[in-house]
Amino acid sequence: MSEVGTLAIGMAFLVSLYGLVAPLMGVGLRRDELVRSGRNAVYATALLLGVASAALLYAFVTRDFGNAYVASYSSRDLNLLYTLSAFWAGQAGSLLFWALMLAGFAAIVVWRHRALRELMPYVIAVLMGTTAFFTMLLTFVSSPFARLPFPPADGSGLNPLLQNPGMFLHPPTQYLGYVGFTIPFAFAIAAMAARRLDDEWIRAARRWTLLSWFFLSWGVIFGMMWAYVELGWGGYWAWDPVENASLMPWLTATAFLHSVMIQEKRDMLKVWNIVLIVLTFALSIFGTFLTRSGVLSSVHSFALSSMGPLFFGFILVTLAVSFILLIARLPALRSAAELDSLVSRESSFLFNNLILVGAAFSVFLGTVFPILSEAVRGVKISVGPPFFNQVNVPIGLGLLLLMGLCPLLAWRKASPKNLSRSFLIPGILGVASAVLMLAVGITHPAALAAFALCVFVTAAILQDFHRGAMVRRSHGESYPIAAIRLVARNHRRYGGYVVHIGMILLFAGIAAGAYSTEREAILKKGETVSINQYTLRYEGASTYPTQSALVTAATLTVFNSGNQIAVMTPQRNIHNTHEDQPMTEVAIRSTMREDLYIILAGLGEDGTANFRVIVNPLMMWMWIGSVVLTLGTVIAFWPERGEALRNRARYVVEGP
Amino acid sequence: MRVLVLLTVLGLVLAAVPRHAHAADRGLAGEFMCQCGCGLTLANCTHLSCGPRDQALAEIARLEGLGRTRGQIRAAFIQQYGEGVLAAPLRRGFNLLAYWGPYWVIISGALAILALAAAWTRRPKAVVGADDPGLTAEQRDLLERELSNLKD
Repeated sequence: MSEVGTLAIGMAFLVSLYGLVAPLMGVGLRRDELVRSGRNAVYATALLLGVASAALLYAFVTRDFGNAYVASYSSRDLNLLYTLSAFWAGQAGSLLFWALMLAGFAAIVVWRHRALRELMPYVIAVLMGTTAFFTMLLTFVSSPFARLPFPPADGSGLNPLLQNPGMFLHPPTQYLGYVGFTIPFAFAIAAMAARRLDDEWIRAARRWTLLSWFFLSWGVIFGMMWAYVELGWGGYWAWDPVENASLMPWLTATAFLHSVMIQEKRDMLKVWNIVLIVLTFALSIFGTFLTRSGVLSSVHSFALSSMGPLFFGFILVTLAVSFILLIARLPALRSAAELDSLVSRESSFLFNNLILVGAAFSVFLGTVFPILSEAVRGVKISVGPPFFNQVNVPIGLGLLLLMGLCPLLAWRKASPKNLSRSFLIPGILGVASAVLMLAVGITHPAALAAFALCVFVTAAILQDFHRGAMVRRSHGESYPIAAIRLVARNHRRYGGYVVHIGMILLFAGIAAGAYSTEREAILKKGETVSINQYTLRYEGASTYPTQSALVTAATLTVFNSGNQIAVMTPQRNIHNTHEDQPMTEVAIRSTMREDLYIILAGLGEDGTANFRVIVNPLMMWMWIGSVVLTLGTVIAFWPERGEALRNRARYVVEGP
Repeated sequence: MRVLVLLTVLGLVLAAVPRHAHAADRGLAGEFMCQCGCGLTLANCTHLSCGPRDQALAEIARLEGLGRTRGQIRAAFIQQYGEGVLAAPLRRGFNLLAYWGPYWVIISGALAILALAAAWTRRPKAVVGADDPGLTAEQRDLLERELSNLKD
């Protein structure tokens, strides 16, 4: 099967190169059959990469340890699910996974947007050009089908850190997000190349950006969950360079999703929107560059390689082509409208964009600053969580404030009446909540500000929703029906509100981190340790083998204000294939109020056990916020009736 | 004047934010990078058994036991491991670029938006449909709601 896989990847590279050239020649020579041929090349590439992926999965399932990749990332004792997830555990496999998804997305785009005849040749060329880059890497630099001269009897096994259910969710969603941003980028380049800078491309780009943003959001959230339960230090975000790399395109894509509304409504910010899309795509590749190059040390060091310069070159070419095209099309990208007032939704969205891009710049600068410092001063420095928290907390608070202001300001010009009508009650509630929180002892300035702003934004959103429903109710609808129809009439607006509520819950969970508490204790059997209202009694440890590891589990009985509430068993595992890398399996007890998080840090020869106990407030609300964010995105993404009718009409008129 | 107001607000916000606002920053362990190569702080190092981390934590405990202040412990670590041991660069010289660069960008952008908005709003605009349609305040309110709900 390795030969089939190698052949399929090689052919995918050639076909994607053809798919890059053929549609451009078709446009240049005015030969439609070449464009159609390029379109078919997209389907063929997707099929070939599907075959290659099936061949790799087959090699994993049949334990073909003659395949170097399979031997490196799986072993006989690895269960089937983790064996399948090993597909993207290493560099070559994740590149193949990336290329497969890109080709799959490209096939959907070519089929779904076939009516956009003037844009499609360039869209195909960009998508196939990007696919050609990845298949080139797979063909010449890092093949998942390389053979070993002497196949081992067993493989090296999967890194124990990756043996977590999150491994099924975090990398695929993250990659879907990164890969998805290629589509809006392709539409932006196509619009500039074809001189079709009207609304057509922006509609397609917006929906694909929203979809990719959704996947990347979940990639980041799953990564946070994975870090929280698997890495065992009690947190979920360490400002690791690769974590930062996923945050940057998320921030610029979020900025685009807001500023695109101004282009659709007022025909403004055309240049800015293209810049945001190009930046988002470049930052997605930059994330992969960071993961693969090893220029910065990272917790994701299981995916290092020497292909960093190739990625860097690809980013430079992408930026050069994009900005040359942009400069050439500047006259056609002039805004049709101007700001009417500084106090308007347009200008508030500009500030929102400024903060989001400022946040992305802040994360970028902090991430690359060690390299800059070494280059300029010759001094190696580190940039870790304390730095990022100092710089980004004020920016985050500004963003939270704008989340409440932006959607409620009127377009063009907000009147004093509009301002008082929209913000008086939320403002009073925000201030009142701050006073109340101070009274109950919440004095941490950043947390206090964040919680008060969360109340303000929530009140602003609920008030606007209520008023909308009341207007419909005045036409004779019952309140629940009015509320449902309000959302149904305007998915984007109210879906966006729901996303904001999800973000507020996330912000609240992050802010509550200021009140997390921690204790370390070395306990003998029967001894206790107390933290907040909890008392933990160590009952002893047991060691037993499983299929893949030797597990040592410590048992703790947990009391809350004297009442027994749980028995928890943090573990320390030594995996058969990675005996030099003992792993911690934390025990977590989650409630709506807080998480009790226990790490078994070590066991003494005298029978003592070393525990690290952490209480993290409001953690569950972060995960609930993530679900709410999903719901909001689905609502916003759902086509509205008018839009569906327009699409259907276009299909009927222009044909499949 | 606007610049001064913005800078004052920013200064207040920065002053209000504690140096160590994150859950990870627990005492000095959150201020120093682990020297095992994990790229994380001593508080965040993901290795269950980590010699360099345990050694550094023991050193912090020893210095604290000797009554050294945070500043003295920081200086001792910089002397021993170099500036790279700090999880946040020292606030001086070239490093100020990292601390203030994002704010310079945001403030410059804000000033640009203000200037642009001021220039645009001062220009006379063609008034379309400016005649008073004769709506009452309630009718205008209802119309505004309906229009905003119609398409957004």
